Parts: sequence; structure tokens; C-alpha cells
Amino acid sequence: MFALLGTNGAGKTSTVEVVEGLSRPAEGTVSVLGHDPFRERSLVRPRVGVMLQEGGFPPDLTVTEATKMWAGTLTSPRPVDEALSLVDLTHRASVRVKQLSGGERRRLDLALALLGRPEVLFLDEPTTGLDPESRRNTWELIRGLLREGVTVLLTTHYLEEAQALADRLAIMHRGRIVAQGTVSEVVDAYPARISFVPPAGIPLPVVVSEDGSGRVTVRTNNLQETLHELLAWAHAHSVELSGLDARSASLEEAFLAIAEEAA
Amino acid sequence: MRATAVGQAELKLFWRNRTALFNSLVMPVLIVPLLMSVDADGVPLIVGLTGFVLLMAVYYNLVTTFVARREELVLKRLRVGELTDPEILFGASLPSVVVALGQMALFAVIVGVITGVALPARPWFLVVGVVGGVTVFALLAAVSSAFTRTVEMAQVTSLPVLVACLLGSGLFFPLSVLPDGVATVLRLLPLSPVLDLLRAGWSDGPVLRPLIVLAVWIALGTYAVRRWFRWDPRR
Repeated sequence: MFALLGTNGAGKTSTVEVVEGLSRPAEGTVSVLGHDPFRERSLVRPRVGVMLQEGGFPPDLTVTEATKMWAGTLTSPRPVDEALSLVDLTHRASVRVKQLSGGERRRLDLALALLGRPEVLFLDEPTTGLDPESRRNTWELIRGLLREGVTVLLTTHYLEEAQALADRLAIMHRGRIVAQGTVSEVVDAYPARISFVPPAGIPLPVVVSEDGSGRVTVRTNNLQETLHELLAWAHAHSVELSGLDARSASLEEAFLAIAEEAA
Repeated sequence: MRATAVGQAELKLFWRNRTALFNSLVMPVLIVPLLMSVDADGVPLIVGLTGFVLLMAVYYNLVTTFVARREELVLKRLRVGELTDPEILFGASLPSVVVALGQMALFAVIVGVITGVALPARPWFLVVGVVGGVTVFALLAAVSSAFTRTVEMAQVTSLPVLVACLLGSGLFFPLSVLPDGVATVLRLLPLSPVLDLLRAGWSDGPVLRPLIVLAVWIALGTYAVRRWFRWDPRR
């Protein structure tokens, strides 16, 4: 899985729409499964599944009818029941689309994307609007697809989603890719952080930054060493580092740092 | 055929949409007294009704269908599937077209039997007229939808085509009663050649000129759809 992350308006959806073959690239070339997705649409489409950020279904069709319609347009569709049970919508099969919740609509959209047994799957914010349980179920479903060998291009706002699922990722800001690699490659470029409320009246042994909340933050590329130094110092001076919090860089921190740097 | 999957879904939606049902099933019946009040019976009544069905059941219905599916993001969703663009439009048009063809046949038979109209001597001109008419008005509907923001706005954006064709194509009176210059211009409207061809099915009449006008409209319509049709909502 490749995940495309980015700030709002960074151009994720536009990029994905070019890769899906919905729009023509202004310059450069795009290749999906060895073909141009725009000009050779008929060669590419039978092998890919797409879940748009905003896709629609006629509100007056039922879930089953909408799925059947989609199946009728495909070369080799899964059975409708199978697709609906994959996304856990079987119990809503005879409900009209307009009566579905936002999360259920997302899952229906995912079912249609999976209906053609795609080799490549495009998921544009697939879990937006899903409750935590449905999100976990969707993650499990996506993991299963990845194990079967499906290639997935994911865009998401949820960094933990990318961290949990993606092999590689890229972060976009204002139309450009500003960082890319495996999750750990992207994250390792950013320092770990230790924060605490400093004891009064004693100079600290490390360089800190203050944010005005009374806490100070230490940034370090060697978390274990710095933390040890700090704790030994506190022990020697018999002071308490209240609210002590130490963490390795996460994707979220890397992302925030990138958004901040670029701003 | 793949497009029929979309057509079947559209047919279900059509039966669930009261406005569409009214416009295509009831409106043409309401027009009968109007046509009879201008002394249309027999062939002119059949021709007039067919023209009216083309305008309401094909053109107007399809403008609202295309706009509704675009605003619901259905067209966009369909476009990431395997169907080609023409297949999507064809599929979405199917129910309106099928209902319209059924109505035309029904009206022709009823009026024909009641007023004792002879069988058309040259039925192939009827076929060409109907097929060409359906094609032109489906294309025009797609073009009009591009300039229509909401389904409600379709009532306004469809007016130019509807009014021009209702009043200017010889639906209520033959164009030959008008001054030559005016009639010549009005014969260029998209509905006029269709009606000419229908009349030619029963009696001798000009055929070549209507065929050319119709072909030009189909070419223009196709070009305009490719150029202006919108798959995404207007925002």
C-alpha cells in the first residue's frame, strides 16, 4: 500500500483523479498497470477499483439495486451478497440509499470499488465519517486485500491509518511532495520529544524550548540517552519532573513539522 | 449490453419519480384537446402528438435526469467504472426513450383506429424520423443539462428549446401557412425535419431537406455534448 497524505487543499484528490484517469495530466505521463489511464481507459478500468472521496448513488435505489446496477457494468463481478457482506451491509440490503448514514454510504462505495475484484484499488479517504468500530473493520478488510496481493493507493486525513496500513507513503503540501519513503524513513527524520514541567530555581542540564504553557520540550535524536541523562540529573538533585512525557517521533509529529516548516 | 444495467436502474428510478411520470405520461394526454381544437385529426394529430412526446418525454425528462444524476454525483461515480462515456449517457437515457417510443406507438394506433388513418405508405420515413428525433432530443437534453445548475432550474433552461419547437415547428399548424421567409427559417428548428419526415410517411412531401437538417442537428448536438457536457456538479 502506498498512502498519500497532505494538508487540506494540498492536491491529493486532484493527483488521485489524474491517476484514476478522470482527468488528463497537464504535463508528464501517468502509467497504471502499464497503460495510460486516461487514453487507454478501457484497458485499465476492468483491473482497478475506485472509491472516490465523494461518489454518489441514486438516492431512490436500494443498496442491493445500486450494487446490482454496478455489477451489471463490470466484466467479472463478485456476487452482490458477497460484496455487501465484505463491508458489513447485508442487513441494510433493502434500504434506500438516501436512508443510509454517511458511514454506511462510504461502506457501500467501498463495496462497489471491490465488486470487480480489482488488482489495484484507489481509496480516497475511505474511512471518513466511519465510527471507530467500522473503521477497524475496514482496516481489517484492507489488510486482507493487501495479503491477497491487491495494490492500494490510499489518501487519508487519519495519520494513524497510514501508519497502520501503508508500506510507503508521501506527504504533499501545496501541490508538491515534500517527504516520501517508508513510514519509519519519514518518521526517523524527525526528533523524539520529552516534555515536562521544569522544577523551579535549578538550571536544566539540556537545551529546552518553552511554549508558554509552563511545560518545556526537549528534542532529541537519541531518546534513550537524553532521557537517561535527564532522569539521572533529577535523581541527583532530588527534584520531580512532573507531567513527564517522552515519545518517539510519530507520523503525526512528522506531518505537523512538515506543515509548519512549509507554511 | 453493459449500458442496460444503468438503464434498468434508471427505469426503477423513473417509476419512483412522480414528476417524471407526470411529465411523460400525463402531459401528452393533456395536449390532445389542444391539438383537436386547432382541427388536428388523423395524420396531423399523430404527428403532433409524436412531436410533443419527443419534447416532454425525451427532451425535458432527460434534461432533469442528467442534471439530477450529475448533482447526486452518480455520473462521476459511473465514470470511474468500466462504462465508456457514451454508454453512460445511453444507459441513463434508455427508460425515457423506451417510454417515449411506447407512447408514440400507442397514440398512433389509437388515433389511427379512431379516425381511420390508412397505414403509412412509406413507413421507413417514420422510422428515420422517430429514431433521428429521439437522437437529436437526447443530445440536446445533454447539452441543456450542462447549462442547468439544479433540477428546478431545468424548467427555465429547457424553455428556449421547448417554446421554439412547440410554436415554430408546425406542431399546431403547418408551416406552409406562414410567409415563405419565416417558414424557411423555422424549418431549420430541430423538431421541424422530424415532423416533415413523419408526414412523408403517409403522403408525398419533401424528404431530402429534412434529412439534411436532421443530420446537421445530430452532428451539432454530438459536438456540443463532447464540448460542454459536465460530469461533475457545477460548483
